[in-house]
Amino acid sequence: MTTTSAFDVIVIGAGHAGVEAAWSAATMGCRVGICTLSADTVAHMPCNPAIGGTAKGHLVREIDALGGLMGLAIDTTGLQFKLLNRSRGPAVWSPRAQADKRVYAARVAELMRQQPNIEWVLGRVGRLLVKGYSVVGVELEDDSGNTGGQELQATTVIVTTGTFLNGLTHVGSEQKAAGRVGEPPSHHLAESLKALGFRWGRLKTGTPPRLDRRSIDFSRFDQSLGDDSPVPFSFMTESLDRPQIVCHSLYTNQRVHDLVRDNIQRSPLYNGQIEGIGPRYCPSLEDKVMRFPDRERHQVLLEPEGVGMDEIYVNGFSMSLPAAIQEDLVHALPGLQDAVVMRSGYAVEYDFVQPTELRRTYESKTIRGLFMAGQINGTSGYEEAAAQGLIAGINAAQQVKEEAPFVLERSDAYIGVLADDLTTRGCLEPYRMFTSRAEYRLLLRIDNADLRLTSKGRDIGLVGDRRWKRFQERQVRFKRNVRAVEETTVSVAEGKRVRASQALSRPDISLETLLEQGELRLESVDGCHAFDLWSVEAEFKYSGYLKRQNANIKQAQKLESLAIPERFVYTGMPGLSREVVERLNETRPETLGQASRIAGVTAAAVAIIAGRLSR
Amino acid sequence: MFVRDDTIVAISTPPGQGGIGVVRLSGQAAKTIANAVLCLDRDLKPRYATLTQVRDSPGGRPIDQVVATFFPRPNSYTGEDVVELSGHGSPVLLRQIVSATIAAGARLAEPGEFTFRGYLNGQMDLVQAEAVADLVASVTPLQARAAFDQLDGTMTDAIGEIDESVFDLIVRLEASLDFPDEGYHFANQETVISNLQAIATSVKNLLDGAGHGRLIREGSQAVIVGKPNVGKSTLFNQLCGGPRAIVTDVPGTTRDLLTETIDLSGIPVTLVDTAGVRETSDRVEAEGVQRTRGAIDSATTIVLVLDGSKPLELDDRSLLVETQSDRRLIVISKRDLPSEWVPADETEIATSDDVTAVCLLDNKDVAVVREKLSFLVEGNDAKRDVPAVTNLRHIELLRRADSTLEQALKSARAGVTEELLLTELGDARRTFEEISGVRPDDAVLRRIFESFCIGK
Repeated sequence: MTTTSAFDVIVIGAGHAGVEAAWSAATMGCRVGICTLSADTVAHMPCNPAIGGTAKGHLVREIDALGGLMGLAIDTTGLQFKLLNRSRGPAVWSPRAQADKRVYAARVAELMRQQPNIEWVLGRVGRLLVKGYSVVGVELEDDSGNTGGQELQATTVIVTTGTFLNGLTHVGSEQKAAGRVGEPPSHHLAESLKALGFRWGRLKTGTPPRLDRRSIDFSRFDQSLGDDSPVPFSFMTESLDRPQIVCHSLYTNQRVHDLVRDNIQRSPLYNGQIEGIGPRYCPSLEDKVMRFPDRERHQVLLEPEGVGMDEIYVNGFSMSLPAAIQEDLVHALPGLQDAVVMRSGYAVEYDFVQPTELRRTYESKTIRGLFMAGQINGTSGYEEAAAQGLIAGINAAQQVKEEAPFVLERSDAYIGVLADDLTTRGCLEPYRMFTSRAEYRLLLRIDNADLRLTSKGRDIGLVGDRRWKRFQERQVRFKRNVRAVEETTVSVAEGKRVRASQALSRPDISLETLLEQGELRLESVDGCHAFDLWSVEAEFKYSGYLKRQNANIKQAQKLESLAIPERFVYTGMPGLSREVVERLNETRPETLGQASRIAGVTAAAVAIIAGRLSR
Repeated sequence: MFVRDDTIVAISTPPGQGGIGVVRLSGQAAKTIANAVLCLDRDLKPRYATLTQVRDSPGGRPIDQVVATFFPRPNSYTGEDVVELSGHGSPVLLRQIVSATIAAGARLAEPGEFTFRGYLNGQMDLVQAEAVADLVASVTPLQARAAFDQLDGTMTDAIGEIDESVFDLIVRLEASLDFPDEGYHFANQETVISNLQAIATSVKNLLDGAGHGRLIREGSQAVIVGKPNVGKSTLFNQLCGGPRAIVTDVPGTTRDLLTETIDLSGIPVTLVDTAGVRETSDRVEAEGVQRTRGAIDSATTIVLVLDGSKPLELDDRSLLVETQSDRRLIVISKRDLPSEWVPADETEIATSDDVTAVCLLDNKDVAVVREKLSFLVEGNDAKRDVPAVTNLRHIELLRRADSTLEQALKSARAGVTEELLLTELGDARRTFEEISGVRPDDAVLRRIFESFCIGK
């Protein structure tokens, strides 16, 4: 039971949330200790070997704009890059990249090693040490996995244990206590957290089987290629000109569907064996077949887990049926009759903490200095985890430095939407980010993530000089480009000449067209070319809409800025129904705006609270 | 806005004497205060009319017999605890009861405060709250019916249905955005356009009836003009001899002896008689002429009376010219006497003018005038069953929704991408929320409820 000198921040877990938390706190000057069981599982991708996707890509860009790791890591290790929703407007374009799991993890580890403030602690945390209502450190498990190991002092602790708390994996009827396959779950830590009185839930998530690349004849499938001019995730990337790999796609068929239906009783997802609630948006194969019986086929993608790795990830084929059935299902897929299953798909059930227990800084409302980020808060996805870890790390550092908390609003970033949604509504099912969650979607685009956030990152010390310089240059370019569009006249269809800004407001004229015509010239630099142009295009194409969104934000500001004191008493307030009081007491919103977003809280209730607050 | 955690009191029946007067208490202390001013030997039983006596102050001497009814929350008008005291309708007594409750801790309610609390507590939405005011203020049976319909939820339901369709479209468009690659198509352009068209049509249908509805709610004005002795007063009296609108004195407005509000097919029409304005001395006459001019300018309909038994004079002609561009009915009086002129010969009378020759003492003729006036007042709005929309605030918001939807339709046709369409659809939904008051705007609420009477 020896103690070492105190850390400023201890991060428990080195997944996507943990690494961003450690990175940001360390960059901001804190001494950070990051605890993990094995150095091999840093920034591990247990499921889809990919980063980004609709709305997730937005999160990555924002993490990068603030100075986080994810964007840098994926740009240098991505295997295939695609911009999704290309046929729609710039607000919903979202980048996605296939990743080489191992190389990605190695890159993250490398980046972290460059940060001297980060110390690696190999071991597993068994208990949180709390004095009064503040966290004071952690206690590791001893070598036999019991409590009573080494104690580490820390001013703040960030828990990012993902799916490990009382994790239970299911393959058919085979259950095994595990956080991920082959990795033992965290039991003591879960009990330690429970003892602190947090509200819990249980969720589940699933992953598909992995196939052996060598047993598949890829020529039989449709090819899925990356973009010709791939768009990077990071604002620091100057070029993405590595060769891209090819992925393949196919479809399920009636045989597959019948097999699932015939064996549905053996699926722990359907026979009640699993109690946790699963993600609606990431449905297992069982879900897809049972809930959409009219659909004749579902798409399946074959994605390599890494260059030089033999595992092929079968995207869209997540399941927890018994191993033997899984093999039959794989073989029923057209073209995969001879495929070898290297690893069965499985479902994992795990404990999570209701994020209504947290402030938007991810600090616990009851225990000072204790933060929670990532899947432990009920989210799904690496990007959602990373975004939380970043904010938690920043705020732990701010607390250590005794500076103001750092909170992004819903109108600032998807990161802000995420924090507000989680802490206001809690989770009834795994939370995944969608663009529809952002009411200011037109403002929160991938091209302007830096324009929105990099200054904030600089203010708190997370954005270094190199990035800052690059950003300032971009800001200048943006302003100059906007002026150029406003002042240059171009010719349009009927031989008329109008200002470029006017021409752009027509739906049939794109910036590309104008540039091709040659009368308009804009500045851009390598790597940022696309964003330079898009920011300008969106500014004009969306201008009417943006004005309205900005007006709406101002309107909403009134409610958002009305803070509700910590010890505000709802019970007994006349005019508030018992249900409303319950919801308010459960969530304890920090602002009136947040209160208005709690399910079940009526506008009338908001008006009543506002009236009380203004007296 | 209003302070909300105290208990309010007011006389809920109109001022003046009557058989019954009601004092209403609402708030968390309603029962306690009632106990303090009533001579009860036990607590009021919920929803049980209890005969008891009321004191002039807490613990003071009894002054009246009352029937007290306690409505425990949330099943009351305001959603709070409510106690209603029905006493004799003497203004003096009622005021004493109110004073007693104030001494026991109540506060005099502000205009509309009871209904506002009802709205806040979800007993009714904003549209229904407004209907209460309309119901109370109604002066024709049709007006009352329109208001009751609104209170009953006809408008609320209509808006709800439209909002539901918009929401459904939004959900499908969002799904298309969220799952771009998985081959799930939830809304193609054709479907979106046809959905939007259907929604826009529903809103337009509501607006179609709105003109008529507004007329029902707000009424109209008809000014009778003509030179002296053509029969204006006779016409006025004859028209007023029919169904009258039941107009009561509202404190703060003056009753003009030259006006009377009649019920013209359910629409309250205020008749303005300019008779006698000419028959005064010069100084006053100039004023009178001025006033008549003013009345003509603001009137919605003109009834111009011309004497058919005498040739037209300068005064007649100048009135004809002055009212040329107004909505007018030309009544040629004294049909029973030989006519000295015909309308076709007079250039100031257009073929489009509605002209009718009457004998003002003949009831059938008067009925014809009444009918023509009714038609003129309603203009192009064909008579239909009670329309859902009567209120200008609703009309303006629906117009805004209509233009937003038209814009969305235009965008959809131009092939604009989903996220832009969704912004417009979101705006439309927000407008519907404004109508029903789901998202209250402080200033708007204040304006609405301040126009109520105290005690409502």
